[in-house]
Amino acid sequence: MSRKASEYRSHVKPIWCPGCGDYAVLNALTRAFASLELRNENIMVASGIGCSSRFPAFLKTYGIHGVHGRPLPLATGIKLGNPSLTVVAVGGDGDGFSIGGGHIPHAARRNIDLPYIVMDNNIYGMTKGQPSPTSPRGLQRKASPYGSQERPLNPILMTLAYGTTFVARAFSGQPKQMADIFRQALLHPGFAFVQVLSPCITFHNTYDHYREICRPLPEGHNAQDLQAAMTAALETETQYLGIFYRDDQQLPYSRRLQLLRDRAPKLTLETVLDRFRR
Amino acid sequence: MAKELLKGNVAFAEAAVRNGLQAYFGYPITPQSEALEHLSKRMLELDRVFLQAESEVAAINMVYGAACTGVRVMTSTSGPGFSLMTEGLSYIAGSEVPVVVVNMMRGGPGLGNIQPAQADYALMVHTVGHGDFHAIVLAPANIQELIDMVGLAFDLAEKYRTVVYIAGDGSLGQMMESAELPPMKPLPTERPAWATIGAKDREPNAITSLFLGAEPLEAWNLHLQKKLAQIKENEVRWQEYQTEDADLLMVAYGTVGRICTSVMREARKQGLRVGLLRPQTLWPFPAARLNELAGQVRGILVSEMSAGQMLADVERAVAGKCPVAFHGRLGGVFPMVDELLAELKKLDQEVSK
Repeated sequence: MSRKASEYRSHVKPIWCPGCGDYAVLNALTRAFASLELRNENIMVASGIGCSSRFPAFLKTYGIHGVHGRPLPLATGIKLGNPSLTVVAVGGDGDGFSIGGGHIPHAARRNIDLPYIVMDNNIYGMTKGQPSPTSPRGLQRKASPYGSQERPLNPILMTLAYGTTFVARAFSGQPKQMADIFRQALLHPGFAFVQVLSPCITFHNTYDHYREICRPLPEGHNAQDLQAAMTAALETETQYLGIFYRDDQQLPYSRRLQLLRDRAPKLTLETVLDRFRR
Repeated sequence: MAKELLKGNVAFAEAAVRNGLQAYFGYPITPQSEALEHLSKRMLELDRVFLQAESEVAAINMVYGAACTGVRVMTSTSGPGFSLMTEGLSYIAGSEVPVVVVNMMRGGPGLGNIQPAQADYALMVHTVGHGDFHAIVLAPANIQELIDMVGLAFDLAEKYRTVVYIAGDGSLGQMMESAELPPMKPLPTERPAWATIGAKDREPNAITSLFLGAEPLEAWNLHLQKKLAQIKENEVRWQEYQTEDADLLMVAYGTVGRICTSVMREARKQGLRVGLLRPQTLWPFPAARLNELAGQVRGILVSEMSAGQMLADVERAVAGKCPVAFHGRLGGVFPMVDELLAELKKLDQEVSK
């Protein structure tokens, strides 16, 4: 490997709490960049709002800290504005599944060619610990003193149902596997969703819980088999790690856009004049 | 009731509870989240409705829905969340249901920061989103006034079936001071006649902001404008400090208005005859009184934690009767007493020429 992960880190020191799961994500993503020998100036990372959305500041790449819940539309615009960039959307579970939840199905429908990494800590960390869309039912916090009553979302099952062409789960306690998943997500020609179980050490420390219940996907899991992926996603007592599903055959949106352009009648002086000649 | 040491966000939330708040919908955002947290406990203790929504867009539409059922309903937020709510607020205004929204303003534009600011003035005062409408905008300068304005906000919202904003800032939400909460009021036993309470023995009501024809929508708009004219006539509120003998006037609201009381005292010690007008309603604006005072004083100094948004309303009210100077701080910085004093002296010299 001729590039080092550290070459993708900016001089800005992360302000995350010591022990935050997001450090492992930062390390894994920069390792994935290095393994693919991406040039720094060819990468752009877009985020929303929340602790994990501070991410772009810690990278020596292009980056944008966007609007709460909107990293996917933002990244879509970037990718279509400059398709030669490697664009990565990042954010947290509140940003992505709550206020931004309406954007995920449409990124999946379009198969926009970029990975979306959600650092899922099952809590609103930045606003000091309110329940999030993936908090376990019954979680007692300052804004849920009698226990939250909503069922947690199942992000893997949800994105599979949306037709996402690459769906994976990683865990901050297993950074090597995470780096490999990110590498595969970056290579995938289409929308790649990666849920990272990334515990919030301060408001919802789930390291021990996830260490206990995280397992690799069953041996022989066929990532081309959507039903097998959904069956594995339905399992919540065990949290499987790895690539649940991938379909590299679907055209990414930037290719579809090019096909549309090819199909559209071209505006030349002649074709414009033709309209008046008739 | 006795005075207690209260944090602004908790104070307005508890004041709402005691004023008969029946439903609250909100979304976490600094510097306002303590209100949401307080209500998550209190509303359920009292068998009322609390829900943490999935976004401010969701929260304001839940508020809209609850308001249609005739309950006392409120949400609270800060700048970025308020921007998101404007779509729903326009619908709420257009369909005439009473709603109270607290905005603890923070530094903008964009994500800005979580420091106190007054830069949402134009957004709150000059419109409620798309279309022609104004919300009643209350501007408290301390925690006691914040508490008192919660009850007023509900009363005005219901009296006029309109949107009422409480325009605070991050410092008002985050600071603690001693203040007195109102006694617990009983909840209303009946819901208003226009609400969705069934149409037994009467014609069904329609709550809507949709009027497809141009003339019907113009007629609806004229009806709304008539209501706004009544509010302008009856609900202007402001406080004056030592204006009787003043020949210089400061105009400031909220936290800056409070700072200006110190400026005024200091200026008077130094021989300047300074008065202060502090608007308590930003809409309707105390324009008529300001116009009178503009005929009495030699000059006016406006201060805001913004680049000068209320300034435009002051200039319109003054209508050229006297010079108007401005001193604003941006991005969450407070104007300090000494810098405002220096601005007053500068104004004094300029108008003495």
